[in-house]
Amino acid sequence: MTELYTTRRRFMLASLAFSGLAVTGTSFLRATAAWANTGDNEDLTHFARLLFPHDGVADAVYAEAMAGVLSGFEANPETAGFLDRAEAALNAQQDEAWFDVDEAAQISAIKNIQDEAFFAAILGALRGSFYYHPAVWEHINYPGSSKEHGGYLHRGFDDISWLPESN
Amino acid sequence: MAKQYELNDDSVIVVIGSGAGGATVANELAQKGIDVVCLEAGSRLTLADVVNHPATMDAKMGWHDKRIGNFLWVCKTVGGTTMRWSGITPRFQEHEFAARSTYGQIDAGTTLIDWPITFKEIEPYYVKAEDKMGVSGTHGIPASAETNNYKVFKAAAKRVGYKDVNSNRSAINPVARNGRPGCQQISFCHSGCAIGAKWSTLYTEVPAAEATGHFELRANAMALRVNHDETGKATGVVYKDSDGVTHEQKARAVCVAGNVVETARILLNSESSLFPHGLGNSSGQVGQNYMRHTFGVALAVMPKPVNFHRGARQTGVVYDEQGHNPERGFAGGYQLQAIAVEPWNVSATIGGWGPENSVFIENYTSLAGLFITGEDPPEAKNRISLHSTERDANGLPVPVIEYRNHANTNAMREHAIDSSRQMYESLGATEFWGGDAPVGCHNMGVARMSADPKDGVTNRWGQAHDIPNLFVSDGSLFSSSGGGNPTLTIVALAIRQAEHIAERMAQKEL
Repeated sequence: MTELYTTRRRFMLASLAFSGLAVTGTSFLRATAAWANTGDNEDLTHFARLLFPHDGVADAVYAEAMAGVLSGFEANPETAGFLDRAEAALNAQQDEAWFDVDEAAQISAIKNIQDEAFFAAILGALRGSFYYHPAVWEHINYPGSSKEHGGYLHRGFDDISWLPESN
Repeated sequence: MAKQYELNDDSVIVVIGSGAGGATVANELAQKGIDVVCLEAGSRLTLADVVNHPATMDAKMGWHDKRIGNFLWVCKTVGGTTMRWSGITPRFQEHEFAARSTYGQIDAGTTLIDWPITFKEIEPYYVKAEDKMGVSGTHGIPASAETNNYKVFKAAAKRVGYKDVNSNRSAINPVARNGRPGCQQISFCHSGCAIGAKWSTLYTEVPAAEATGHFELRANAMALRVNHDETGKATGVVYKDSDGVTHEQKARAVCVAGNVVETARILLNSESSLFPHGLGNSSGQVGQNYMRHTFGVALAVMPKPVNFHRGARQTGVVYDEQGHNPERGFAGGYQLQAIAVEPWNVSATIGGWGPENSVFIENYTSLAGLFITGEDPPEAKNRISLHSTERDANGLPVPVIEYRNHANTNAMREHAIDSSRQMYESLGATEFWGGDAPVGCHNMGVARMSADPKDGVTNRWGQAHDIPNLFVSDGSLFSSSGGGNPTLTIVALAIRQAEHIAERMAQKEL
């Protein structure tokens, strides 16, 4: 695979994640929470956590982010079925279900599929839906939009105090 | 005030694009009483449309038409990519205008030439551009306020021995000026500036041009091709409006400023029996020599909080590495510029998955970051061409973008990343990531100025060698890339070009 192709794919997918998100937002996330909460998708939820591990972020958030990925994929014939393919490719690597093996084996199974186009698509879309999720922002103490608070001009844009040199 | 011109009015100058180059040349012409119609493919937002959420704004103003090949992070909106840019406005250095003479030809693949103009010739226009844009540290404007991220950057730079570091040269008002407010440190300036403190042509050049009564902006007007007569002079621009209806605006002269992909596509798509390889392309150079700088990003987890999301996205530059010192193992130089990145972008920049990626976002409030921009040599094979069969929704040939890093670029990036690592580790960084950032927002070279018509597309005024009333007015003009951010040089060249056009008109030559 050429360097050119890899770069192109990476950014096409990044754009895909972006444009999907713009029309989703929190109301969409509520709508897909039903899917996320059925409990039928615990393997995909766990898969999402292994891709972007953050202790302290609830499973429900990973599930919602993955539901966002699924919804975007199903709307596009080129990506519909990608999550099924990932699930099947993970499960095919050992006798028992992927979800039931230990975490080291799970990670190694992911590494075995990480060069697949469907994996890159999932990763790019999940990166968008997960790292734009308000609960993830809260977890990392990123407060989101500052415009309505007048920015940080009077709220600590220059308040760092631990640097060794004062100037 | 804003004028409306008839489609068959062939006294107007048609400018394609309303970004840094297009809106500047248009406004400068309108200020001189010259009638201009500006065609902009995107829609016209207001400040009220700007939300502090990068993904939402990318959907509103990003360019998402079909392309094949390397990604370009550019805008389709009134104001063009000045809506998204970070405002850093260094001048190119004297030797960068003589790249071929200074560096030699790096290898058989590079196509370096000297600019057909010198630093001395552009210098007065840099002064005008800095005044127009409100560049901090010039024209009595104070330095930009020092954000947390910049303070870390500066302290780290000084620890490793860098001397030339400051927070000047940003086209974001530190204090109110010319009817625009001072920066409120809202951050993520690439969402668009919600208060207009950052220079964008949407709320500077465009309304200033409208106020003259010599300018009409047509938004949602996608330029398709430039027509010409049997003598080879440009006669008008064919465009599609928001209803999909095609029109032709007649023209006295045409300025093309659509950023490199659209500029190359319009010229190449305007092929005819007289110009079988496209307009202005007897040299075969249209679309070639595409440059996008040596890019890179460094991110570090610092031992204590930085909160780099507070404050202007980019403030402050280390200039120590911008010279040409071949003993470093590469030609040309680079700058380091403090930068802050939203959570998604941290993850996307680092790429991959797992804890090696997520550790940086987990420590989001302790991150410090910088951006690397440096010179990349032109190569014929780095180019924009048109797909032979694929067509997009406008019926236009899909552009194919081919860009690979030259060995010189890779060597420069490695050097810059090593410097960045030393900087942040000197302050006790616990994690460091440095790498390529192939985003394509400094786009140059595909219709370059050249002294010899065989080497490029345009002359020292940005006027096509082949067609006297066809001009290129964006970064496509650059003969070589320099190391610093291109917008100030684009604006300086556009001011200079407008003077040239007005003089030619006064002499009845246009």
